[in-house]
Amino acid sequence: MIGVWHYLAVAAVLFGLGLVGFLTRRNLITMFLCAELMLQGVVLNLVAFSKFHGNLSGQVFGLVVITVAACEAGMAMALFVLLYRRAKTLDASDWQGVREDQIPAAPEEAGPPMAEPAPAYPTLTPAGARPSAGEEAPARV
Amino acid sequence: MSETTLAMAVVLLPLLAAVATTVLRPLRLVHLAHVPAVVGFGAAAVLAFWLLLQVQDAKVPSFINAPIPWFSLGNLRVTVSIHVDPLSATMLATVTFVAAWIAIFSAGYMHGDSGYDRYFAVMGLFVFSMCLLVLANNFLLLVAGWEGVGLCSYLLVGYYYAKPSAAAAARKAFLVTRLGDVGFLLGIFLLWQAGHYEMNLNQLFTNLVLHPPSDGTLTTACLLLFCGAVGKSAQFPLYVWLPDAMEGPTPVSALIHAATMVTAGVYLLARCAPIYAMSSAATATVALIGGITACLAAFLAVGQTDLKRVLAYSTVSQLGFMFMALGCMRAITPGIAVAAAIFHLFTHAFFKALLFLGSGSVMHAMGGVDIRKFGGLRRLMPVTHLTFLAGAAALAGIPPLAGFWSKDQILDALNEACDSDSPNGAIYAIVLGLALIAAAMTAFYTFRAYFLTFWGEERIPPEAGHHAHESPWVMLAPLCVLAVGAVFAGIAVEPFGNGFSHFLSRSPSVELANVVYAKQTNLIPIEHPHLNLTVAGVGMGLAFLGFGLAAVLYRKGGPEVVPPMLVPVFEASKNKLYVDEIYNATVVKPAEVLATASRQVDGAVGSLARLVAFLPKAVGTFLRPLQNGLVQFYALGMVLGLAVFLTLVVARFTR
Amino acid sequence: MHDVTMPLFAEPPTTSSASQVVLACAMGAAGIFLLLPRPSGRKVALGTFLALAGLGVMATFMLDAFGKPEKDDVGTWLFYLFATGAVGFAGVLVAQRNPARGAIAFAFVVLNVCGLFVLLAAPFLAAASVVVYAGAIIVTFLFVLMLSHARGHSPENDRTREPLLGTLAAFAFIGLVLFGLYESRPEYPFDVSVKVIDGVGHEATAISPVPTLPLTPHDKLALEQIARKLADVADGDYTTAKQFVDATESIRVELGGVLGGIDGRYRYLPRDRSDIPPPGTWALDRARDVERKSKAVENALTRSPNDARQAVRQLREAVLLLRGSSELPARNVANLGYLLYSEHLLAVELAGTLLLVATIGAVAIAGRKAVPA
Repeated sequence: MIGVWHYLAVAAVLFGLGLVGFLTRRNLITMFLCAELMLQGVVLNLVAFSKFHGNLSGQVFGLVVITVAACEAGMAMALFVLLYRRAKTLDASDWQGVREDQIPAAPEEAGPPMAEPAPAYPTLTPAGARPSAGEEAPARV
Repeated sequence: MSETTLAMAVVLLPLLAAVATTVLRPLRLVHLAHVPAVVGFGAAAVLAFWLLLQVQDAKVPSFINAPIPWFSLGNLRVTVSIHVDPLSATMLATVTFVAAWIAIFSAGYMHGDSGYDRYFAVMGLFVFSMCLLVLANNFLLLVAGWEGVGLCSYLLVGYYYAKPSAAAAARKAFLVTRLGDVGFLLGIFLLWQAGHYEMNLNQLFTNLVLHPPSDGTLTTACLLLFCGAVGKSAQFPLYVWLPDAMEGPTPVSALIHAATMVTAGVYLLARCAPIYAMSSAATATVALIGGITACLAAFLAVGQTDLKRVLAYSTVSQLGFMFMALGCMRAITPGIAVAAAIFHLFTHAFFKALLFLGSGSVMHAMGGVDIRKFGGLRRLMPVTHLTFLAGAAALAGIPPLAGFWSKDQILDALNEACDSDSPNGAIYAIVLGLALIAAAMTAFYTFRAYFLTFWGEERIPPEAGHHAHESPWVMLAPLCVLAVGAVFAGIAVEPFGNGFSHFLSRSPSVELANVVYAKQTNLIPIEHPHLNLTVAGVGMGLAFLGFGLAAVLYRKGGPEVVPPMLVPVFEASKNKLYVDEIYNATVVKPAEVLATASRQVDGAVGSLARLVAFLPKAVGTFLRPLQNGLVQFYALGMVLGLAVFLTLVVARFTR
Repeated sequence: MHDVTMPLFAEPPTTSSASQVVLACAMGAAGIFLLLPRPSGRKVALGTFLALAGLGVMATFMLDAFGKPEKDDVGTWLFYLFATGAVGFAGVLVAQRNPARGAIAFAFVVLNVCGLFVLLAAPFLAAASVVVYAGAIIVTFLFVLMLSHARGHSPENDRTREPLLGTLAAFAFIGLVLFGLYESRPEYPFDVSVKVIDGVGHEATAISPVPTLPLTPHDKLALEQIARKLADVADGDYTTAKQFVDATESIRVELGGVLGGIDGRYRYLPRDRSDIPPPGTWALDRARDVERKSKAVENALTRSPNDARQAVRQLREAVLLLRGSSELPARNVANLGYLLYSEHLLAVELAGTLLLVATIGAVAIAGRKAVPA
């Protein structure tokens, strides 16, 4: 029989993975999802204890947590929209304004500079030559 | 309504007026700020007079209210306890009556001032504090009123606080008075200890009389109390604040620095008559200080060119007269001495307030009080002129005006003291001499100011312009009322039948003082003073001498012409005998040196503190990069901390 | 010469469990660290291998420390399925570069956790989670599509902040919690052999955990059978009174055995703290009630047959109540609703207020005009 301990262990692992994501990932949306992941771990704990103790209060707590998560989602989305409007990016590292005076901004992670994405120019039909079959069909004028 | 309830009402009405005034500004009714004060003081004055009649009719003229608990410390229970007797009732009536008329005068004088409501609120607070001081039946309540009037004096002297000289004068008044208060408080503690830790004043005096402490203790206590009186009542050597206090509005000078607050010291000594009656050294000192002050201040008043300053020095001088009378308490029947002092206090309140208000009226018209700049105002301001003349004559001691009778009683008392078999007879002789000189000079400087202001050719300073006119009725009415008081207050109550002396002598403290006197000298206390025609004649002669001299010199008015041989004297008087400079060199400079040294020491201590402050700053240099503004970095720190904490928990509970 | 073989490799249980935890966390941390997106390219194969190996070690630890479940239990297999799914998709969410795919992975995490909810007798919570998170996830997904359609590389998806420290801290947290769980597990052994006799009379030995509640599955089975028999007796046709009495007597003897077992187990239930009644107290009360009803049947036998049948019916109801005690009520939604609006009314009100405030706040924040950069 699966006991409460098994569920608690699974919940701890879920919470920890959410923590990893929250601490390291830089995309605000991913961070938000990881925070939700941690909440899932917490709710799992509550429900497991509810079963263990044979009363429903744990599940009530779970419902409250879900409510809070819903509120959090709404607020987070609104804030993301606002931040995106300001900086045109979802990078959490762009917001370092509250650091101490005269402290330089945190440096980027070491590694080769990222290649510029290749510009997606529209391809033009070569003049004069008949396009071969299988290539991109030219626009009909 | 019982007498004590009545007294309570007298105390609380001015406070109520003050509180009511403070709410006027939010209501945009600042122009009506004088109404609560006039109504409150007027009602208080009516009640005070009624109280006076009640006290006069009562068989035992002493009422003490049911004590209201104030606070308690250990075994010490301090109560709000008031005491009404002829002495305090007289004082109360004088204070509220003068205050009411001065409030009316102020309504005209301060009209349109930006701090109109502030002025009347503080005035209400002042009258409240003064009534509290007068009625207090224990030293703590008395000190509360004492400091309250000091505070109000500070606020009102510094009323034009934007003016540096006014702010400095307020500070000076407060600090110099404070110097005396230190002695006052020490004296209270000493008396309290010697009198078996009794709070009730009458009981305290009885205790002291029944179980007298050693002579040294008693004299020390009396002198310490007198220190407070010297500060508050501007006696030598602490009188220097009073002339500077003329920076305040003139009605304030009339109320606080002539009629009421400065007489608190006189009242204090009168109230403590039983213990002063036991110490001959202390009373002789009081008389001597009073004599020196009276003579010195009269001399200084001679050379002043500022009308208000003449009056201020005159106030100092007249207060010196009162202290001279009080100083006779051990040598003659204390009741007579106290009666003389309080009688002079009573008449002085009228004529000095009148003179100040008159000078205020002049100031209102002329825009300044420098008597060199104007003259010959008697046709321009007839009412002011006549009332001022009445006040001046009363102050100079021209019979039969109020000042003559009271001053004569003081001279009488001093004369008696010289003739008594007191061991300090020589001192009293010197004091009598000083008093006579002062009396002559009083007449001289008073009429000098009067002639220079009102006689001669009409001269109006250019800054007054078309504004030079007689004051409005609201200012003239108080002048007339006080002028009537200045003329008749003396003759009405005392010289025929000695009603005032009899009335005052029924006060419990005065009666106790008489008992002490009888016990110590084996003499029967005299019930009332006898008119000594010689003394009266000399006093009258001196008054007329001063008047005549002034008339000869200044009758023609115009710019002051000083006889060449007297120039140095006048210069010395004008420069206040360089007393301020002497104080500056002997007291202020050493204090400055000490302060500079202290500042250096403080700087050394401060550098130590800065060293301590440097430590967190140095640590902060290393920790500051942690605040890099990255929220994720903070979260990481949180999780690491949590991990450490969990490690501790697990390690603690590992089986 | 000592004949005792030295257990060279045997370690005390704590050490072995601790090393298991450490190993699992180290491998998991290394795996996730390698899998995290970075500009210099990540080691997907090695990372995945290490992460899965760490998961395996963790499973071993879990089964060692907290007891091996019965093999033939469907619920056990479902647990394995859902737990593995939840943890696996969580790993995908953390390591996935593309936030849109991350959102889908999170949806799967939620579905798996909901499966675990159902296993934990919380069907309503499972349904609510699906509904709420489905809505939230779809909205998130829309936002992801709308806002992060950056082509090629973008720093927020391809770079990480403090990957090593973050991974270590989080896995240290996991390890400490697991070790803490291990340390706080009950003292009695989880796995003991019990004889199980099913309804048909077959006897089997099974590995079964010592119950944390006084009612074992065996008891429940027995109580069900007793209840069925009692129903038969109450409605059965008996020609003689003796037959009826015999039938009830035999059932009552059987019932007495079951009750004795419950009583005994209750007495030896592990107690965490002496001042808190163990979780089976309510079941014990029910057992006492059954005992009383059983006595009532005995007394009723001397009275009229109708009274006796009535007493037997009451005894059956009490037995059924005992059978259902110490479990969550079957009518989850109704009971949850009752609880919400009776005991937790304030929490409900607060949650509602919070939702309202959040709605207003979200509208107020997002509805603002665009700020010039």
